Amino acid sequence: MTHLDIELKRLKDETVEMFLLVTSQLDKARKALFKFDKALAREVNFNERRVNALELKIDKDCENIFALFNPVAIDLRFVLAVLKINSNLERIGDIADGIAKYVVDTEAPYDNELLEITRFVEMYGTAVEMLQDTQSAFDAEDTKLARGVFNKDNLLDEINGIANSVVEEYITKYPGKISQALHIISAIRKLERTGDQAKNIAEEIIFYLEAKVLKHLSPKAKAE
Amino acid sequence: MYKLESKDINLYYGDFQALKNISMNFEINTVTALIGPSGCGKSTYLRLFNRMNDLIPNVRIEGEILLDGKNIYKKGLGMRVDELRKKVGMVFQKPNPFPKSIFENIAYGLRVNGIKHKGFIEERVETSLKQAALWEEVKDKLKKSAFELSGGQQQRLCIARALAIEPTVILMDEPASALDPISTAKIEELIYQLKEKYTIIIVTHNMQQAGRVSDKTAFFYLGELIEFDSTPKIFTNPDKVQTQNYVTGRFG
Amino acid sequence: MLSKSNKEKLAFWVFRILSFFVLAILFWILEFIFIRGWHMLNWEFLTEMPKDGMTKGGIYPAIIGTLCLIAGSMIFAFPIGVLAGIYMHEYTKDSWYKRFIKLMTNNLAGIPSIVFGLFGMALFVNAMDFGDSIIAGSLTLGLLSLPVVIRVTEEAMLAVNDSFRHGSLALGATKLQTVRKVVLPIALPNIITGLILSIGRVSGETAPILFTVAAYFLPKLPESIFDQVMALPYHLYVISTSGTKIEESRDMAYGTALVLVLIVLILNLLANMLRRYYSKKVKMN
Repeated sequence: MTHLDIELKRLKDETVEMFLLVTSQLDKARKALFKFDKALAREVNFNERRVNALELKIDKDCENIFALFNPVAIDLRFVLAVLKINSNLERIGDIADGIAKYVVDTEAPYDNELLEITRFVEMYGTAVEMLQDTQSAFDAEDTKLARGVFNKDNLLDEINGIANSVVEEYITKYPGKISQALHIISAIRKLERTGDQAKNIAEEIIFYLEAKVLKHLSPKAKAE
Repeated sequence: MYKLESKDINLYYGDFQALKNISMNFEINTVTALIGPSGCGKSTYLRLFNRMNDLIPNVRIEGEILLDGKNIYKKGLGMRVDELRKKVGMVFQKPNPFPKSIFENIAYGLRVNGIKHKGFIEERVETSLKQAALWEEVKDKLKKSAFELSGGQQQRLCIARALAIEPTVILMDEPASALDPISTAKIEELIYQLKEKYTIIIVTHNMQQAGRVSDKTAFFYLGELIEFDSTPKIFTNPDKVQTQNYVTGRFG
Repeated sequence: MLSKSNKEKLAFWVFRILSFFVLAILFWILEFIFIRGWHMLNWEFLTEMPKDGMTKGGIYPAIIGTLCLIAGSMIFAFPIGVLAGIYMHEYTKDSWYKRFIKLMTNNLAGIPSIVFGLFGMALFVNAMDFGDSIIAGSLTLGLLSLPVVIRVTEEAMLAVNDSFRHGSLALGATKLQTVRKVVLPIALPNIITGLILSIGRVSGETAPILFTVAAYFLPKLPESIFDQVMALPYHLYVISTSGTKIEESRDMAYGTALVLVLIVLILNLLANMLRRYYSKKVKMN
């Protein structure tokens, strides 16, 4: 391995670590919400610092590789991709942090009926899955897996689309649980954005491996 | 303790002051790059460490150079210059193999240092060539003239020649400036590997090269040390405006 | 006005004609000597003593004498000259002292050879009491060629790129090791070329041997370095200008001239071969 290869490998390892950290944050926020585990939620809030620190580290490493090694071709695309993946992951980390904050702020456990009718559990599971898929795709340099992420996003959009009317109904039925309902609708919005972030990550992976720019294309064109 | 230290070095060529008050420390097993425009004194500074400046008439040196804590310029108590050069090897700008066979080029340093044992010399020739990543290319033609090698191979031969006498410090004066890009890349990789065992100081005009191979970078300008810091720092956020202007190619 | 390319052509032809002119003169001289001397060249001429007032017989003792003088002067001048040249180039710093030696060496090269002859007679023949002898002649010829050998050695050392010296010194070699093992082997072919030049000069010189060694007529071979010998250039001078029967020995003179020219030619070729051999060896070794 050349010196540059060694540096790129280290950057990749750090990015995978970032993936794992953010995935675990999102997953812990989910558990905290469903089990109403405030301690776990506080742990997520605490670990947000680690996510931020790792983001800065990866940014700095990208900067150094640009400055010291002048990477070209696939190496250049890789470092550019990592730079963007890194910032997408950091935002997902923020989302996990935000969801965990709701758990900390709420006094009573979330109503199962509310979670049921909004299909929140299903949505959350898919969001985490998408994130895991992008991580595997990044790690294994697998563009097929990355393309799969675009389809999964449809489900998130669908659930997000009906969320307003479902929650409206729920509030009418249980006016005393407005605050809970508002938390969930915000969380749904956040998860929808998580899906978009995962899609962006998938696009970056395809960009770096195949040199194809998928941004702003129709969903159909992306999947092929 | 630092491997090499220079304390308040001033160097004059006759009336001209080529180096002004240079103090720097070099940690063991690191690569330090000296950069700066032509005539900034970086090569002169490099040649202090193996006393090659002594060959130039009318040179006056003030200050101290310490190798492993010992002042190499101290009269009487210091070390002999040939002893010093055994510990501090040097690779020059243009490949300068001797007009001898590949084998004899490397054996030369051993022979002039009094080593006669044939088996030992053969072993050392092989090890040095392997260290310089040249063994595979030349193992079947050790008896051939060194001039039959390509420029890049000749430069690696010169590196092997320097390694053969087991120095602890290697000075490199623009070692790849006369070579093609592929050979340059090979030399750079070699430098990166060699730092595990050696303390290396390299003078280079090529800023990308300084970035790729070195841990620390020193920027010289008009005989002064402007800035000395970790290479990433120099190349992403140097403290001095002059350094920034130089590394961004805005002057020099 | 001539156009640029026509000027170029004109210059080219002028240079070409001039160089042909030089070559023509050289060949003319050679042809002149060959045609008149060729028929003299036989075994007897080369191996017999001169007879009948040097109008018959051979020039054997003169050939041997000249060879002795060449060898003797080289044995003396080569080591001293080469060592002095090495000292001058490698060891002396640029100072008034070095410039003085250089100036003196150049002056020495410019002194007329007859002065060397007189000096050799005064010092070696008389003061040191060698008498007219091979050793006195060799030393005189050696002195004559010394400046050339020194200069040539210096030039040859100068032609060796400093990068070789620096490479050697940087490996912890001493100055002596550097000169002996790196610089000298590289400079050797050029030094040998210089030697060829000085041998050529020595073998043809008449004036320095006039008063120090050369015998007018001595039909026997030398037994020691303290004996007198005949020598080709002096013999040629004698039989063509101051002999007793100049007309009758005309053929002998051309034959002698031819032999002298051939000796110089053969020496040149030999030295050239040696030089090639060395430059090859330096590369391969």
